Amino acid sequence: MLTDWDTLAGYFPVLLEGAATTLLLFFLTLVIGFIIALPVALARNSKNNYARAFGHSFIYFFRGAPLLAILFLTYYGLPQIPGVKESFVWFFIRDPFPVAVIALALNSSGFQAEIIAGALRNVPKGEVEAAQAAGFSRMFVFVHIAAPHAIRLGLRSFGNEAVLIIKGTAVVSFITIQDLISAANQVYFNTLDPISPLLIAGLFYLSLVFLLSRLFRKLEYRLDPRLRT
Amino acid sequence: MDFGLLEYGDGWGDELVLGLGITLGLAILAIVFGTAIGLFSALVERSKVRSLSGSVSAFNAVVRSLPELLIILFVYYGSSILMQAVLSPFGIEGFISISAFSAGVIALSLIHTSYASEVFRGAFAAVPTGPVEAARSLGLHPLQQFFLVQLPLAIRFAFPGLVNLSIVTLKTTPLVSAIGLQDLIRVAGDAGQNTREYLTFFILALVIYLLIAGLVMIAQFYLEKRLFQFMYARRS
Repeated sequence: MLTDWDTLAGYFPVLLEGAATTLLLFFLTLVIGFIIALPVALARNSKNNYARAFGHSFIYFFRGAPLLAILFLTYYGLPQIPGVKESFVWFFIRDPFPVAVIALALNSSGFQAEIIAGALRNVPKGEVEAAQAAGFSRMFVFVHIAAPHAIRLGLRSFGNEAVLIIKGTAVVSFITIQDLISAANQVYFNTLDPISPLLIAGLFYLSLVFLLSRLFRKLEYRLDPRLRT
Repeated sequence: MDFGLLEYGDGWGDELVLGLGITLGLAILAIVFGTAIGLFSALVERSKVRSLSGSVSAFNAVVRSLPELLIILFVYYGSSILMQAVLSPFGIEGFISISAFSAGVIALSLIHTSYASEVFRGAFAAVPTGPVEAARSLGLHPLQQFFLVQLPLAIRFAFPGLVNLSIVTLKTTPLVSAIGLQDLIRVAGDAGQNTREYLTFFILALVIYLLIAGLVMIAQFYLEKRLFQFMYARRS
């Protein structure tokens, strides 16, 4: 029922490659999602009605749509739009990996934008107004007053979102990218034992999530003096 | 966009409706089981028996950390192996497996349970001690205290989190296409592959998911107003 250790060890390179792909997807999604989320969050909080409408709809759309639906829409639907296949974008989209990163990043950016916008909203107005009254420029106030406080407010939710990103990378196996789960499936097809590779993959995800949570806890501890008393 | 594709019979309309039915059925069953077992699991986690509460906590933490696809695959493959192992001493050989739908329901319920139990834990912690102490001083039996005071209040505090979670579970259902279930996304994909009109069908599926999520959020708004009436009650 369970494969013997030697055969399984022979498949370790396959699993390791899948794990590397998963990690790469995680980092890219986190960073690119953040880059997209920042302007969207600012738009959502802005006083301009159009910007606010855009921010709200962006967040509603990408939080409400299933990740798999967005993935399939980008992967299968985009090449169908007339003109895409001839344009320079096609070079980018032909390979499934960039498509997956785009879809994952867009989905994550919806959640991240909500977190960032909420954190910025909850910065006490008094601090911002005091800095503005002291004569600091808008940029200075944002970088030195609002942003640090917002980071401390949003850190816990951001850590949760990072864990959700790791779990979200699993869907790329649907578009033939060799992540950890499809690597585990491949081992299953070769050894006819589904449980062992899935168990190993599960252990990897567990350790990754555990390490990530530890990292965010330490970050919270270092950034918030109140926790240190 | 050719709407003829969506017709019943000739077009893909009936398959899409079937897919939607499977998606909704999966989601509703998972939400109902998941919430019920989640409540039970939260109660166990609050109990004084450390071994029970500890193991339930650990189990929930593990389930929350693993990708949903992994859990679905695990339940699907593992259940057949488990059943074969359990039934072979009785002489029942051969290949036994459970249907993909049942595996999907079990896996999704498991995931929903682990998050729901977190929501309920927070809800029970948020119940104010005033009414509970009042009930105790009135002489109510602990079980009465629980069912008449703590539980109704906890359910009200848990409500927004549970609705949020239900929407998340609805969005997790497309993953069951990995074990062969013909849910909405899978049908849309098949239809798209057949007609090469991927955009039409995937946008349609997306719109349907967004509509359902929107309807649930509207319903949540009106239900919350009624459920939280007690907080705005004034003495006349």
